[in-house]
Amino acid sequence: MTRNPNAFLKEEYQDLVEKGFNWQLRTLEGPSAPVCKVDGKEVIMLCSNNYLNLSNHPKIKEASKRAIDSHGAGSGSVRAIAGNMDLHFEAERRLAKFKGTEATLIYQTGFAVNQGLIPQLVGKGDIIISDELNHGSIIDGVRLTKADRAVYAHSDMSELEKALQDADAKNYRRILVITDGVFSMDGDIAKGGDFVKLCQEYGAMSYIDDAHGEGVIGPDGRGMAAHFGVEGKLDVEMGTFSKAFGVVGGLVAGSQDLVNYAYNKSRSWLLSGSAPPATAAAQIAAIDVLETEPEHVQNLWKNTDYFKKEIQSMGFDTGNSETPITPVICGESHTAKELSNFLYDQGIFALPIVFPMVARDKARIRTMMNAGLTREHLDKALAAFEKGGKDLKIL
Amino acid sequence: MKIGFLINPIAGMGGKVGLKGTDGVLDQAIELGAQPVAQEKAEKMLSHLREIYPEKIEWLTCHGDMGAKALEEASFEFSIAHDAKESPSQKDTLAAAKVLLDSHVDLIVFCGGDGTARDIVSIVEKKVPVLGIPSGVKMYSGVFGISPARTAEVLDGFLKGELGLAEVEIMDLDEDKYRAGEWSVRLYYSANTPFESTLVQSSKMMIEAASDEEIKEEIGEYIEELVSEEPDALFLLGPGGTLEFIGNMLGIEKTLLGIDAIAHGQQVGKDLNEEGLLKLFDNYNNIKLILSPIGSQGFVLGRGNLQLSPQVIRKIGRDNIMVVSTPAKLQRTPMLRFDTGDAELNSELAGRGWFSVVIGYRLSRLAEVSI
Repeated sequence: MTRNPNAFLKEEYQDLVEKGFNWQLRTLEGPSAPVCKVDGKEVIMLCSNNYLNLSNHPKIKEASKRAIDSHGAGSGSVRAIAGNMDLHFEAERRLAKFKGTEATLIYQTGFAVNQGLIPQLVGKGDIIISDELNHGSIIDGVRLTKADRAVYAHSDMSELEKALQDADAKNYRRILVITDGVFSMDGDIAKGGDFVKLCQEYGAMSYIDDAHGEGVIGPDGRGMAAHFGVEGKLDVEMGTFSKAFGVVGGLVAGSQDLVNYAYNKSRSWLLSGSAPPATAAAQIAAIDVLETEPEHVQNLWKNTDYFKKEIQSMGFDTGNSETPITPVICGESHTAKELSNFLYDQGIFALPIVFPMVARDKARIRTMMNAGLTREHLDKALAAFEKGGKDLKIL
Repeated sequence: MKIGFLINPIAGMGGKVGLKGTDGVLDQAIELGAQPVAQEKAEKMLSHLREIYPEKIEWLTCHGDMGAKALEEASFEFSIAHDAKESPSQKDTLAAAKVLLDSHVDLIVFCGGDGTARDIVSIVEKKVPVLGIPSGVKMYSGVFGISPARTAEVLDGFLKGELGLAEVEIMDLDEDKYRAGEWSVRLYYSANTPFESTLVQSSKMMIEAASDEEIKEEIGEYIEELVSEEPDALFLLGPGGTLEFIGNMLGIEKTLLGIDAIAHGQQVGKDLNEEGLLKLFDNYNNIKLILSPIGSQGFVLGRGNLQLSPQVIRKIGRDNIMVVSTPAKLQRTPMLRFDTGDAELNSELAGRGWFSVVIGYRLSRLAEVSI
């Protein structure tokens, strides 16, 4: 048999291009900032995850530079062998204090947490109960287990309770319940209080992926558990340094038992090189900034509230958003794409989210607020939305 | 795209005058004052389609009341595939279905009820997908739109290439039982109908549409594992397209309409009746029954599987019944129904009003049960 081992690469890529499903990578020329240069054009950034504008914060950059001088550019190994530096432990200690938990563990990315930890928490004879809109990294983590899975309608706590009753009656050994904290397509928040209460009632382990809530919701941006006042009751609080914290890295906060178990068992943690010193130092500095400069979280919400109020008063549908993620719903996919192109021409960078990521008639521009944007920036963006919305007959 | 269009002009006429259908009782229905309804329903669908889908459609239809008139009314262009008589009969439906099949249409849209669906599918089987404009007295089959307007929207989605295909059951009155005075609906065929694909986060892309078949394969993989994990258990697979597919995956000769048994990885029963089931039960302590909701009404028990008598079900027990369904089918099945003919058992099966349904590999979702 004659085989061309590489033919599929081109064929499948071309198929994606023909269907319009391929990713066209845009290039940032310079830092991720409230106003950036994207593909040579200066734009107001409305689609980064850099909510607090920390990725370019002088104290954090300075800490990174110092760490390179003191510890070098790389860590030399995985943490389990020879790549565990004082900076890594320090970051985890500081994070635990910030989160109000017994312990924390920092992974290379948020994806690595979900993919590495979830399959270690359950196995055959166990069940995972999951919100239907959970993030892909959770789904991939779940796929790696032989545990049974049940899904419940998005944020429907009464259906979750029934699923828990069903699992309880079937005598599963362990029940793990997972939800996103902030849902990234709609910007709504999971019902964290009821979620934790239900899990406790049925002896289920509670797991919240707080990637978009870390640094954003809760007092001083301390995340889901703090937001709902359930610190210490949420079994696994998972989050990331790559969004509001402005750095990179995944995190798990919970008990010392959880952390001991997690780093001894998560393959993604054990088998990946540890974060470079500059990254660990930046993580520490980002926590410093959050603890000492409350204005970033305050500005983020001030901007969010203003933008949301204005865009709604124009007549745009923003769905159930409660966070700095504000979807601006356009209807059909092509309308959302056209609006996004129009905005880019006007110097506003906000990308469309279309079917199959969201329902066919709910295509949208997903905006993500940034604490560093000024009122002038927001007014410019709002004016562009209004003009584009009218031209495209969304308004 | 080439769309076949077929109206059963007498469909639904028996309904308003209290008959259980129109098949064979047309004269009686007319005597009782029945009026044709199918034409109007078809026109409603077509006029809505005109509004939402302005592009040209290549229609292939039959003369007069069997399609041409309604298409003309909605100012669609069409060509004639079958020349129907003045007062068309079942023979014309069958003949027209044959011509549409041979003309390689992409879809047959028909206006009628279960009887019409059954006639068409008896000819085209799963080779051509079908979509029904609801106009019959009986509509237990899963091919019907909820209303003429909704049917137009489904057709619009199909024409735009937005929809995949899902397998559904064709149900109709069990004529033998009906002649003996019993009202009983049974499964006749499985057919394909356009349906919004299930979206899954696959490993290849962030999100993509999964076909009906891929989902059935996932459910089948799970059942394969269960069968190999419990070699001493007797697994019974109920009727319907989903379980036919899974039975074939397990390597047994699965009957579409019957109940087949598997143990130690081997087929140990085929198209079992009540007596056969009970006899088989003597040899096993652990019995698992796998069922799928039948038709659009969501019957898990009581339609198409009367061999599963109250006695049989009691021996198996609620905890040993597994209900499987593709998410697409579950989505159009708002309620599951257990109708064993034994009220006490029905209520036991309904439990607290919901049942966990397997919708993928080790994946389940709760569905409401009609109490």
